[in-house]
Amino acid sequence: MRILKGLSAFYLNDRLTGAAGLALVVLVLMGVFGSMLPLGDPTAIGVGPRLGPPTGELPLGTDELGRSYLPRVVQGIRVTFLIASIAVMLTAALGTLIGMMSAYVRGWVDALIMRLADVMFAFPALILGLLVAALIGPGDVSVVTVITAATLPLFIRVVRAVTLSLAERGFVVAAEVAGASRMRVMIVHLLPNITGAVLVQLTYALSVGMLIESGLSFLGLGIQPPYASLGSLLRTGAVYLTIAPWMVFSSGVVLSLAIMSVNLVGDGLRDMLDPLRGRSLR
Amino acid sequence: MSARLIELISASVTYHSGPMWARRTVEAVHKVSIEVQPGEIVGMVGESGSGKTTVGKLCLGVLQPTVGKVIFDGHSPIDRSSRRGQMAVVLQHPEWALNPRLKVGMSVAEPLSIQGGVASREKTRRIEEALTMVGLDAGFAQRYPHELSGGQRQRMAIARALITRPRFVVFDEAVSALDVSIQTQVLNLIKQLQAEGGFASLFISHDLAATRYVADRIVVMRAGEIVEQAPVREFYERPSHPYSQALFDTIA
Amino acid sequence: MTPLLSIEDLAIEYVTRRGVVRALDEARLSLMEPSVIGIVGESGSGKSTMGLAIGRLLPRFANRLHGDLKLEGNSVFDANDESIRCLRRKRLGFVFQDPMTALDPTMKVGRQLVYAGGDSFGQNEALDLLARVGLPDQARVASSYPHQLSGGMAQRVVIALAIARQPALLIADEPTASLDASLRDHILDLLVSLHTAMNTGVILLSHELRVILRHCERVAVMYAGRVVEDGKTSVVFASPAHPYTLALLAAAPGRERPGEMLQPIPGVPPVLSGRVEGCGFAPRCRFAAERCQVERPIARLFANRTVLCHHSERVLDGAQKKDTAR
Repeated sequence: MRILKGLSAFYLNDRLTGAAGLALVVLVLMGVFGSMLPLGDPTAIGVGPRLGPPTGELPLGTDELGRSYLPRVVQGIRVTFLIASIAVMLTAALGTLIGMMSAYVRGWVDALIMRLADVMFAFPALILGLLVAALIGPGDVSVVTVITAATLPLFIRVVRAVTLSLAERGFVVAAEVAGASRMRVMIVHLLPNITGAVLVQLTYALSVGMLIESGLSFLGLGIQPPYASLGSLLRTGAVYLTIAPWMVFSSGVVLSLAIMSVNLVGDGLRDMLDPLRGRSLR
Repeated sequence: MSARLIELISASVTYHSGPMWARRTVEAVHKVSIEVQPGEIVGMVGESGSGKTTVGKLCLGVLQPTVGKVIFDGHSPIDRSSRRGQMAVVLQHPEWALNPRLKVGMSVAEPLSIQGGVASREKTRRIEEALTMVGLDAGFAQRYPHELSGGQRQRMAIARALITRPRFVVFDEAVSALDVSIQTQVLNLIKQLQAEGGFASLFISHDLAATRYVADRIVVMRAGEIVEQAPVREFYERPSHPYSQALFDTIA
Repeated sequence: MTPLLSIEDLAIEYVTRRGVVRALDEARLSLMEPSVIGIVGESGSGKSTMGLAIGRLLPRFANRLHGDLKLEGNSVFDANDESIRCLRRKRLGFVFQDPMTALDPTMKVGRQLVYAGGDSFGQNEALDLLARVGLPDQARVASSYPHQLSGGMAQRVVIALAIARQPALLIADEPTASLDASLRDHILDLLVSLHTAMNTGVILLSHELRVILRHCERVAVMYAGRVVEDGKTSVVFASPAHPYTLALLAAAPGRERPGEMLQPIPGVPPVLSGRVEGCGFAPRCRFAAERCQVERPIARLFANRTVLCHHSERVLDGAQKKDTAR
């Protein structure tokens, strides 16, 4: 309930974030229900002329196989968004666990985990993508793996930092002194207070995930035909850029809007949770 | 079994920092020996960095000394099971004293939940008892921490500390963040509860005036060492050590 | 003669998501000429709001409802953006509680001083300034970054920054709260000495009575957004005429005899949502009568001070009786 109140409050406070939030909601709905919309079949070949421009019946034109482009774009958002979301949520869970334990246990275990995270963090995602694709072949599994590897260190770091500051607080120390087991402290006192920070990172990681997915698919290492993700659509669209620019244009704009809206929502969430809000001078 | 409740015997705590080739060693506490008798309030006064918080942690057993011994009621070292239900702590910042995700009543009952074996109806009764004891209406138990003022949160922290009727409580700058008018309310509360409940206590503060008001005996710390230990009476007249005198002069 | 500072019936409220909070409820204060005045108040008294208001440094969600604040005759609230910036730069100096957040962590101290001093202020002037605030080894301090200095030294640097342009008024809000007690008196002595040396007015905000007693000639006690008692410190603290001042002095540890119980002030300081009809302290006051619930006390001159209470005669009597009984 408090979350809903908070959300409606920040829509009223900041229109840009509100608009972005709305866009994100549309994205999520598309992701879940997109395939049920009566926009046409994304895989039906020859519905219109090859590389036909946008018309009344085919609002985004057709691609090189005569498929209506609109449902392809919708499927594209769906796939990009779903893959990125699933990957990011898995990573969030794993990263939270590792980060929290690392901060709480400390010592050499903590140092080791941090150094491993640093190494992962330093690795460029696209190179990692090439590596993974070479090992297990291109496809959605390799995309998820790369997204996980790229965003895991982020979660570990943030959760570790939040846990370190939480561990000093009165209610945590009081529980320890009263004889609580480490497990109890982590589940009852630390975890519920970490979720705010994790949520903010989740949105940021989501935008990173969507970018990685699109990038890998653009290189041909991600989603394979006949399925389409925004990245793979950009890939084929790029070939026909001069003849049929609507393909690159529509998928590119949609991808940009999606990532931008996710980022703005993340910023809004972070500002909402920031205790120093409203401190500018008149 | 010795009569002393808590005893520190020549305890030192050393921290190492920095990389392996440029190690820095800081001795937070150096050869400190203290005793706390059952039912007495020992006040510990010193500036930041004097080591007083570290001594508090040693007494609670959350920190082990690098050298020396800490004994609680015959147990050494102090571990989780010897502590359970016997010890409690109240820290400085009221804004972090309670878990923001839990209703205040649940926070107060946490030591009971940790101890285990207390039925839910009994728990509710003990929560009510604890809240009344610190002068708060039992209805407060249903509120969340952000709905309470600083003074109320500290009282909750005290209620939580005393709910298992512990034998030893550490107050670490417990009133420092409160307004003067509320501070005195809480100091009086501590005095009253200690008189009724008979627990021993370590009252740590940088404020000599507040400390001598509650303590039976005062220990002055500076740079990790004990500089003077004397009954509180001396701190109303004139303490012996020049450092204690300097602290005394700031409140004259 | 234009007073240095004149705060006339200033009312300020903060608009928050949870409602409106009135921080100042027609507060009044004036400094005729540069002097040292201490403002005592607990949280919710409005003292920090008043301090910030002098430089119009209030956050965006603060509204001035009515009243005004004049610095050397110039209205602070009616000034345009350029004039208020000029005022902040040249006529005012601020010292806040935490030196580490007041100093730019990315700039060496010397450079920050030169920057603050304005035109024709160079390295030499910066070193002089550091000497003036009692820092030895000025060259080393000037070439240090803030995090390399101790708390006490950093606070001295903050004071140096505040006085760089010889302001007319220096406002210090709990300047020693994050420092060790041993440093406290030195920093406060420094602030007070600036008044003598530069003829600067000094306003010291603190919740600690002994600090004010020791360093300030004049004291203004604030409660519930108003200045409830205002006069010479020695007079006010020795025989208070306002029930809050009386109760505060009785509640603070430090002056009691061994074994004597302190009398806390019952209840909590109020959070105001609007103008108070009557006296803000009435709910906690042991002298309160019917009149106090409905009639707002007006400032009056009484026993050598200004006080806001219907019963000052009784309060003063009570204080004096207690003294003779000791």
